[in-house]
Amino acid sequence: MSQARGREVWQWLRYAFCAVMLVLILLPLVWTVFLSLRSNIDLMRQAPLSLFGPYTLGNYGELLKNQTLFRWFFNSMIVSGFSVAGVLVLSSLAGYAFGRLHFPFRNWLYVFVLMGLAIPDQSVILTRHHIFSTLHWHNTYLALILPGLSAPLGVFLMTETFRAIPKGMEDAARLDRASPLMVFWKILLPQTLPAQASLGIYTFLLSWNDYWWPLISATRPDMFTLTEGMAAAQTNYAEVTGMGVLMAEAVLAGLPVLIIYIAFQKHIVSAITGMVKL
Amino acid sequence: MTTRGAPKGWGNLLFALPFLAVYLWLLVYPLLAGIRLSLYRANLFGGEHFIGFENYARLFRDRTFIQALGNSLLFVVLTVPLLIVLALGLALALNRGTRFAGFMRSVVFASSVLSVTVLTIIWRQILVPDGGLISHFSRLIGQTPVAFLNDPKLVLPSLAIITVWWSLGLPMILFLSALQQAPRSVYEAAALDRATPWSIFRRITLPAVMPAVILVAAYECALQFQVFGQPQLLTQGGPNGASRPLVLYIYETGFNHWDIGYAAAASQMLFALILVVSLVPQAGRWLIRGRA
Amino acid sequence: MKRFLFLLMALTLGSCEKTDTRPTITVQRIFGDCRAHVPKGKAPTANPNGECEIITGLLDRFEAENPDIHLKIITVAWPGYDQLSAEYAADDAPDLVTMHMAVIPDYKSHHLLMPLSESLKEQGITPDQFTPVARRAVSMDGDIYGLPFDTWTQLFHINMNLFAKAGLVKNGKPVLPRNAAELLVQARQFRQRTGKPYFVQSMVNEKAAYARNLYIYLLAQDEVIFPDPNHIRLNTPRAREIVGLFKQIYDERMTTRDQDYGTATAAFVNGQGGVYIVGTWMIGAFDAEAATPGRPLYTGYTVVPYPVLFGERPAAFVDGHAWVMPVRDRTPAQTKAVMRLLKFLSVHEADWTRSGHLSSMKAVVNDPAYQAQPHRRDLMDITNYGQGLPIDVQRQFAIQDMLSEELAAAITGAKPVDQALKDAETRINDMLTNLS
Repeated sequence: MSQARGREVWQWLRYAFCAVMLVLILLPLVWTVFLSLRSNIDLMRQAPLSLFGPYTLGNYGELLKNQTLFRWFFNSMIVSGFSVAGVLVLSSLAGYAFGRLHFPFRNWLYVFVLMGLAIPDQSVILTRHHIFSTLHWHNTYLALILPGLSAPLGVFLMTETFRAIPKGMEDAARLDRASPLMVFWKILLPQTLPAQASLGIYTFLLSWNDYWWPLISATRPDMFTLTEGMAAAQTNYAEVTGMGVLMAEAVLAGLPVLIIYIAFQKHIVSAITGMVKL
Repeated sequence: MTTRGAPKGWGNLLFALPFLAVYLWLLVYPLLAGIRLSLYRANLFGGEHFIGFENYARLFRDRTFIQALGNSLLFVVLTVPLLIVLALGLALALNRGTRFAGFMRSVVFASSVLSVTVLTIIWRQILVPDGGLISHFSRLIGQTPVAFLNDPKLVLPSLAIITVWWSLGLPMILFLSALQQAPRSVYEAAALDRATPWSIFRRITLPAVMPAVILVAAYECALQFQVFGQPQLLTQGGPNGASRPLVLYIYETGFNHWDIGYAAAASQMLFALILVVSLVPQAGRWLIRGRA
Repeated sequence: MKRFLFLLMALTLGSCEKTDTRPTITVQRIFGDCRAHVPKGKAPTANPNGECEIITGLLDRFEAENPDIHLKIITVAWPGYDQLSAEYAADDAPDLVTMHMAVIPDYKSHHLLMPLSESLKEQGITPDQFTPVARRAVSMDGDIYGLPFDTWTQLFHINMNLFAKAGLVKNGKPVLPRNAAELLVQARQFRQRTGKPYFVQSMVNEKAAYARNLYIYLLAQDEVIFPDPNHIRLNTPRAREIVGLFKQIYDERMTTRDQDYGTATAAFVNGQGGVYIVGTWMIGAFDAEAATPGRPLYTGYTVVPYPVLFGERPAAFVDGHAWVMPVRDRTPAQTKAVMRLLKFLSVHEADWTRSGHLSSMKAVVNDPAYQAQPHRRDLMDITNYGQGLPIDVQRQFAIQDMLSEELAAAITGAKPVDQALKDAETRINDMLTNLS
């Protein structure tokens, strides 16, 4: 009897906790959308708040007239897209080598790569900036893409993935005197596709949301990423733009990733859990 | 496994070479160059002058740096435990196949795909005392709105809460996956034993998620030590330096004061801190394996 | 492989546009982005928001009048120096930049700015056309390093409607305090009669205002702030007295609190306080409010220099915007284009000062049309007696940041006044003695 009561109490606690968390998580998002539908002038003059409006789509209209937001979105797509491609290619090749092949100093080199996991981007950013300065590469897509390719996490993941493929998969091919490249391409790579998806999504989000590096590398507005552009927009807002427009910008900037998230939700979840199981 | 090709397999190294090149060029070399730079007095535009460890000595005399170091540590202490407790709570509550649980999981994770710059736009309009969401509530109950971002005592906790809101998704998913690995039969046996929910949690659930907890703790510590965007955009380190973390200190010293050698020295301190933190899960794993 | 290389090339060159035979010059400016309200080709007739609309209109007009020059405009957030230093470090500086005069020494001392005397003279612009304040600020080592665009200072912007309600208007003029004690008396009276604070101040994320308040009243008393270019002296009885006054104003709630620049501006416009301490650049916008029926500032706005609260004579801490030309490779055609733009900007300096800024050109200051604009006659003197910090002091913006942060801490009670001044001194001197 008391057992059942205890269970019931737990049950209610659980519902209460979920309800509170749901409100806390959603409220900020709802509030942002709400503000984005109010006119700049109402917000500036702090007209009394009312749930019943007046609402306007004017802020969104103003944004759609403005090309920069689309340019930033485009830049972000390019940068994130090529980052994903670059990380997948480099990590798969290296992961194959470390996980499946033999060569001198292999284990030493692998440990050397893993040590890089402890180097935070932030502690190398000054000198990295200097490298790109001397090359005159700032304000290019390359400068935005390349630093992300140096992270060893992908190599670690792919090495473990290649290692986990049952031994002997490639033996038949070996007998056919296939080159290591053929073995990689034809036999082993298809086995790693789930891991590729995980790493790809992870890289995409990381690259899309990166802030500090674009902030100092892409200094010209036509090279801003969307994330960086939103920073410029909010530091400027006091000067001109107006808050309603700013909130609408936040909504529009948040939407693409939210859509990607909803579309790939299952993959993202399995990506994260997959990466940890390694 | 036998390898074809060049003797001793030098040829196989070619597969790893593209990555190794980028890795050396953009991670290892910048680290070493940064360590070297930290021994120089230098500005953004040259003027290098070797001064040995003077920059490090200066750091420890520099109250702003010490304060930033303290802020970073405090920020980690404020965010990581709260993050783990809430994420674990959510994982426990949502570890079932109902549609509501699925919906809720999506909602929790959704906020973490937003970029930091969107995050700060959203939260400024919640926290500011003039027209912020919370200020409307406090006016409703007749209170003066609190200036969360302009009170030295509240500013870091506020940034911590924003950050927790933003980062709940990842730990929750990791905990969920750990929970799902605990075999059902163990729970069923416990239920037959008429074990209380608390003892089930303590004896079965907790051990099952412990490795994930350690992993999340280490990952989040390293991540939160590098907090930058939230204070840079919301408070610029103020008031009274109460929300200036290490990375913001490095940014200001390097790009506002042009004191790049000194900023490099501060970067090495950050590196050292993260190195220590990243050793923690290893140690934790050894401890757990040792016991098993 | 070839395709890959091609792709790589395309990526590197990603930011380049179609080839244009016209010389391209890049102009980097602050003052915000307002393309949305100022469609291209429509020069602003009204002046609702000031700075941004005017500069956008002026640059549009230059483009229209000079179709043989391709103008690329980069708008950066105030003050824009993080970005500019990053661009210099990346060897990618723009052709023309807005720069605060106080910042010119930093860049000049690293040989990053072009001397302009010779080339400006060819355009008919000579330093004797500048006001004394502006001329002093851009002159270094016998040359000039920027074209002055305006002179600005912080002012007391007054809501006359509230002042009248508080009994602080006499013969149509605001009654202003003549010393610190009187300020407190009037502010208390204001609070009593209007129920609102005397001051509106931006205090959150504020990187400048407090430092400027302190500079003004130190300069008014001929206090030596920098005994030498590498040392600041702040922990003095006079500084403590000035900061103490602002602290008391805060403690007695005679100022709005916890507002950032945007909300403070909105608060003043919405009639939430009597005096807003902010720069010349808001005059145009506030005048527009004063001309709008139904608004709290309607027919009730005026602006005056800081009243003499300490010392015997009025003083103003001034700075100004200048156009500087970074050192970089340019074709002769580009250089020529830059000089034409400089000439254009100097000719239209008067249009720019409609925003409220004080002119930096003698001819404009003495022009009856300029003086006929509201308030200008009362403020003109500042272009004679205004002072900046010594021009051999470097990193003036970083100094202003650190000082403002410490002063805010003192005024809001986070630390004692003398501790804050001492800390500011230590931090600033640590930076200045480690310059390289």
